Amino acid sequence: MKFEDLPVDATRAGAVLLVLAVAFLFSPLFVRPPAATLVLFEVGVLFLLYALVLVGLNLQFGHTGLVNFGPVAFFAVGGYVAAIVTANDPYGAVGLGLPWPVGLAAGVVVAVVLGALIGASTLRLRDDFLAIVTLAVAEIVHGLIVTVRDVTGGSNGLQNVPRPIAATTGGGGAGELFATVLVFGALAVLFYGLFHRLSASPYGRVLRAIRADEQVTETLGKRVFRYKFVVFVYGAAVAGLAGALLVFYNGAAAPGFFTINVTVIVWIGMLIGGAGNDRGVLGGLAIIMGFQLATRFLNEQLPVITPDQFASVRLMLIGLLLMVIIKYRPEGIWGDADELGVES
Amino acid sequence: MTLLAVEGLRRSFGSLVAVDSVSFEVERGEVVGMIGPNGAGKTTTFNCVSGVLPSDAGTVTFEGADVTEAPPYDLARRGLVRTFQQTRELETLTVTDNMLLPTPDHPGERAWHAVGRTAASEQREQEARERAMDLLGTFDLRGMVEEYAASLSGGQRKLLELARALMLDPSLLLLDEPFAGVNPTLTAEIVEHIEALNADGLTLLIIEHELETLTDLVDRLIVLADGRVLATGTPEAIMENEEVIDAYLGG
Ligand SMILES: Nc1ncnc2c1ncn2[C@@H]1O[C@H](COP(=O)(O)OP(=O)(O)OP(=O)(O)O)[C@@H](O)[C@H]1O
Ligand SMILES: [Mg+2]
Repeated sequence: MKFEDLPVDATRAGAVLLVLAVAFLFSPLFVRPPAATLVLFEVGVLFLLYALVLVGLNLQFGHTGLVNFGPVAFFAVGGYVAAIVTANDPYGAVGLGLPWPVGLAAGVVVAVVLGALIGASTLRLRDDFLAIVTLAVAEIVHGLIVTVRDVTGGSNGLQNVPRPIAATTGGGGAGELFATVLVFGALAVLFYGLFHRLSASPYGRVLRAIRADEQVTETLGKRVFRYKFVVFVYGAAVAGLAGALLVFYNGAAAPGFFTINVTVIVWIGMLIGGAGNDRGVLGGLAIIMGFQLATRFLNEQLPVITPDQFASVRLMLIGLLLMVIIKYRPEGIWGDADELGVES
Repeated sequence: MTLLAVEGLRRSFGSLVAVDSVSFEVERGEVVGMIGPNGAGKTTTFNCVSGVLPSDAGTVTFEGADVTEAPPYDLARRGLVRTFQQTRELETLTVTDNMLLPTPDHPGERAWHAVGRTAASEQREQEARERAMDLLGTFDLRGMVEEYAASLSGGQRKLLELARALMLDPSLLLLDEPFAGVNPTLTAEIVEHIEALNADGLTLLIIEHELETLTDLVDRLIVLADGRVLATGTPEAIMENEEVIDAYLGG
């Protein structure tokens, strides 16, 4: 096993960053980035939240081999539960108006419960059941969000969700974006560090053994089901956390935040970067989101095609990139072909 | 003293009864061989005893405890460890990780210790590593420690599987054809290792086709044919048993 430790320990760095970020929030200081860079910060916020989802997915799939095709379900559940618990008088939806920490905790807890239910019912069955069930659950969650309008606000979403970071920062929208990137960045580094400690330890060795051969792992004295269950729930928890953070950033929850696109982006980022390589997958996510950002600018310079046509072209290019990777570098850019058991 | 007692074990696949009221015992300290033609039900017996396959009927008693329903991980922790006929290395793990994985009671396999990088975890890892290197030395695999298990030869895989099983400190080791596909020199080496392990108190039950390999090694033979126990006894007695000669040796 290779320990690819960074010169600084990410768990500690994340904890320190988080303290600094919170101190910054409560200080009268603010930083207002130049307007031209704001789009980077906007994409950065999303990148950091998707990174949280991906850190969990990579533990599930990259290390343990659990095929979770519905990470967005936990992301959405975390977000909507946090929104419902905290919203004040949302027009045509349920809002309990409780403080945001309660909403954050509730979002994570409900995502964990959903993960535990799915895990308990499918992880003893054949491998492909998990893939099918997670895909189905993601669809069901999305369907419920759109149809149970009296609770979720349907396609209008839920407004009047508290925005705890915005409430503490000066400098207007730009200052808020900067502070948000700071806080979410600290959390992303912290959870990357925690999950990396798991994967780079004897615990992670058991996970990789499960990915290689469950039955052998079991005959060598490991409680395979328990590991799979716990890992699945950890992934659900961080995805739920990310969802809650998203609604507190937006001050709203809407179905458009939680589409299947989220699942697609994190999966592609993971496969491009190299499943099982904790840093590699984040690099993959950066590549795919950077590509989306770059092509967005390109579209503005190329008025000959409509945005709709453009979206299709972009999707085709991403599909092409994925095909090239799978054919010529199946382990991904930073993945380990030996560990993934693929020929490149 | 009886270490393993199998009583009336039965397992069918559809209409095929692979194992049919099989009963036998293994005494502590013994080396017992299990022979029989292809499809006799030897591997299926191992699968049921080790908890990998549920049995249809019968009981398995290990160290006096009823373990018929026990899951494989529980049996392994109790000291009943098995290898597979088709070697099953964890190919995407290195040889060293294959060896370290079975380490019993490793604190670092609990999330809290893993995240906290506790001293208890580091210490256990260190001890396990030393033991693993010792065993790899014994089995001539020292040169392969950094390799992925996928790169081992067939014989090396047999050796690694045996060495890996020993990391669990078993009291009973079930070996499914440990000599299959292994050249005679290496076979002689494995036999030597097994004798040394037995001298140290390990009890073994070994499935094998080649009777010659077993005759000097084992105290007793169990002959299986068509899912039933045909005969048990010393190798000498078995080789003179007419039923056995008819069903197996004579052919
Ligand atoms: N998983 C399974 N599904 C269906 N049939 C099986 C299964 N496992 C074993 N069998 C059948 O049970 C019978 C006994 O098989 P088993 O593997 O126990 O034989 P064996 O004595 O180990 O033979 P060999 O010496 O060839 O390894 C065979 O007829 C086999 O086809
Ligand atoms: Mg067999």
